[in-house]
Amino acid sequence: MLIEEKLPSDPDRAPVFIEAWLRRLRPLGLNDDQVFGLKLCLQEALINAIKHGNKCNKHLAVWVKIAADPRCLAVEITDQGQGFDPGAVPDPTAPENIGKNHGRGIYLIRQTMGAVDFSNGGRTIKMVMPLTGDRSGGH
Amino acid sequence: MDIKFEKINDIRLIVLEGELNMESAHKFKETFKPILKERNAKVLIDFAKVPFIDSSGIAALIEVCQNLGKVNGRMCLCHVNKKIVNVFEITKVHKLFKMFESHQEALRSF
Ligand SMILES: Nc1ncnc2c1ncn2[C@@H]1O[C@H](COP(=O)(O)OP(=O)(O)OP(=O)(O)O)[C@@H](O)[C@H]1O
Ligand SMILES: [Mg+2]
Repeated sequence: MLIEEKLPSDPDRAPVFIEAWLRRLRPLGLNDDQVFGLKLCLQEALINAIKHGNKCNKHLAVWVKIAADPRCLAVEITDQGQGFDPGAVPDPTAPENIGKNHGRGIYLIRQTMGAVDFSNGGRTIKMVMPLTGDRSGGH
Repeated sequence: MDIKFEKINDIRLIVLEGELNMESAHKFKETFKPILKERNAKVLIDFAKVPFIDSSGIAALIEVCQNLGKVNGRMCLCHVNKKIVNVFEITKVHKLFKMFESHQEALRSF
């Protein structure tokens, strides 16, 4: 299954797109935990691309590609912003950062996905979720 | 997100319904404006009908918790679903929030 979409840089519209993709991915039979994790990572990566990347500029777009086979699901999100150095992002779980009101998105993605890779100067994030294991369970 | 208010003795019960995310974070924070004008406010937030949270939702909760602290208020959460607890634990913010399984337990903690 392959989903490809070009999105406007409007953070308010992100959740509607995400819900539509999750509906299209339903035949994969993901369990509740996988759906929650995928939704969280899509939301975090998309909002980063729109807000930090494209700075909500209506004239810039975000490209999303979701490729799924029975073994894994790969998501690629690309923005048209300045890029950034993902290696320089501070650890939000460090004691001095726990109380901050930002800085958790990438950390959550890294903890939730099987593999996360930035390219294109930080403008493209690729995340892979393995789909092996029990898919009938979840709560 | 739908937000309902109840009062149990001197404790404010805030019942949330819907996702606490980028879209609803602002509304959630606004809800606390009047409560922050009180001193020693005791707030119990019911998460039973919150199926999803993102980093903006976490940020909103942290802000509210810190702002309440500044006016000697206290807050705790109850009925937080397992997946959201997991998100709190991953980001270690579970250390910032008191969480309970029932209203009774939460009310007793104030
Ligand atoms: N697509 C992007 N383009 C440019 N900079 C980015 C991009 N994604 C992330 N960043 C930078 O990395 C930082 C960390 O991102 P992360 O998602 O972890 O936290 P946040 O967006 O600041 O806050 P939160 O996600 O908790 O609401 C951002 O503050 C921003 O500076
Ligand atoms: Mg972010």
